[in-house]
Parts: sequence; C-alpha cells; structure tokens
Amino acid sequence: MDGISNLFGGMRVAASGMSAERVRIDTIAKNIANASVTHTPEGGPYRRQVAVFEPISHRSPGGGLENEGVRVSAVRDDQTSAFQRIQDPGHPDADANGWVEYPNVNTTREMADLITAVRAYEANMDAQESFVKMAERALKLAQ
Amino acid sequence: MEATGTNLDLLFRMMSASTERARVIASNIANENTPGYRRQVLRFEDLLRDASKQGRTDLERISATVEEDTLTPARPDGNNVTLELELNASRQNRLLYETYASIMQTHFELLRAGIESGR
Repeated sequence: MDGISNLFGGMRVAASGMSAERVRIDTIAKNIANASVTHTPEGGPYRRQVAVFEPISHRSPGGGLENEGVRVSAVRDDQTSAFQRIQDPGHPDADANGWVEYPNVNTTREMADLITAVRAYEANMDAQESFVKMAERALKLAQ
Repeated sequence: MEATGTNLDLLFRMMSASTERARVIASNIANENTPGYRRQVLRFEDLLRDASKQGRTDLERISATVEEDTLTPARPDGNNVTLELELNASRQNRLLYETYASIMQTHFELLRAGIESGR
C-alpha cells in the first residue's frame, strides 16, 4: 500500500487548486487595473478576461475516474457583456456624438469574485494543512 | 492474541482509506470553480458497517469506492461543491484518521508490553 505517496498526491491536488486560484486572482487584478482603458494596442477598449478551470483527471486501472486536481484551461475574453457607453465629449477616444466606450469591467463584481477566489485559495491551503497533520500523526506511530 | 492479525490489517486499510478520502476532498476543493464538476465521496466505513451487519466475515474483500455525489443540488454552472461542506468533511476525516492512528498506537504499545514482559 502507498500511504505516504497518497498523502503527497493529495498535497499536489491542493497545490494545483492554489495555483489555479492564483491565476484567477491575477486575472481579476488585471481586469480591475484595466477598468478605464479605452484604447488598447488591438484597438477598442479593454475586454474583461475570465479564467476557465477544468479538472485534471485520468482513468484509474480499476476503470473509475480519478481526479488529480484542477488547472486553468484558458483565460478567455468575456464576450457575453457589452462595453459601457459613457457621454464624455472631451475624451480623446470620444466618437462624433461624444460617446466613449469603456471596458465591460464591473469593479464591484470583480471585487466579489476576488473575495471568492481568495476564500477558495485559503480552503486549498487548509486541505494541504490537513495532509501535513496526517503525515505528522503517522510519523508519531513510529516513536 | 494475534500479533499481526486481520484487525491490524483492517485498521491499516481504514487509515489508507482516510488518506485517500483526504485526497478526494482536496480535489473537490480544488475544483470548486470548475464548471460542471460533481463532488466526489469516498465510501469505506459505511460499506464495512453494512457488511458486518449482514454477518459477513470476508471484510478484507471490501474495498473503498469513490462515487460521484449526485444528491447535492448543483449551482447554475453544474458544479455542486460547497466549501463549507468540504471543510466539514475534511475536519471529520482528520478526526477519523486521528482515531485510527490512536487505536493502532495502542495496539503497538500492547505488543511492546507483551514482548518486554517475556524477557
């Protein structure tokens, strides 16, 4: 049996969760930082980005689906919401009628997502802590 | 008294199942934001309980199984992981592991006492 290597496998699962949440936190930070960018090198205002997660899983020898954690499959542009249009004739990027297109970033929503991501990161840390405690307990048996 | 009998073997398998369960819970937590992910549960103790209730003696043939939890309702994105539930399961599992380890330790201490009294 593979008690300890199982514990390490579990720690890797928790670590994968932490690094995925980290990418999400980075993406949210990028969205907030770019919330007022009306002019990107690609043209047009900044488009909000979303980190998409997928499970890392493989078939076990027994035929069941074994989960090895999570990873970020892609960081995609959010095409589901429209740019905000604000009346600001003095702005260099304003159109003929004085409308300026601002990114589809809602800072309140980003903040709410940020809190969720941080909590999820902490939960993964808690899980990892569990493995350490279990390994320590198992080592005590040998004393 | 059996020194390394089926009891110790069973205890060892329960500890292994608990380790495996911790891994399953960790993967549930890691996938808390994965659309369409269904939380998984590892069953072992209840399988053992059911078997011994039925009077079966071949408990060593029962192995832990990982099942998808289809009972917990899913969020709109098809994911049914709740952090609170997983943290609760994680703490519960840690206590179980602690219990198994304590019993095993007692077992070893008895063995040692037996060996030393024979000297």
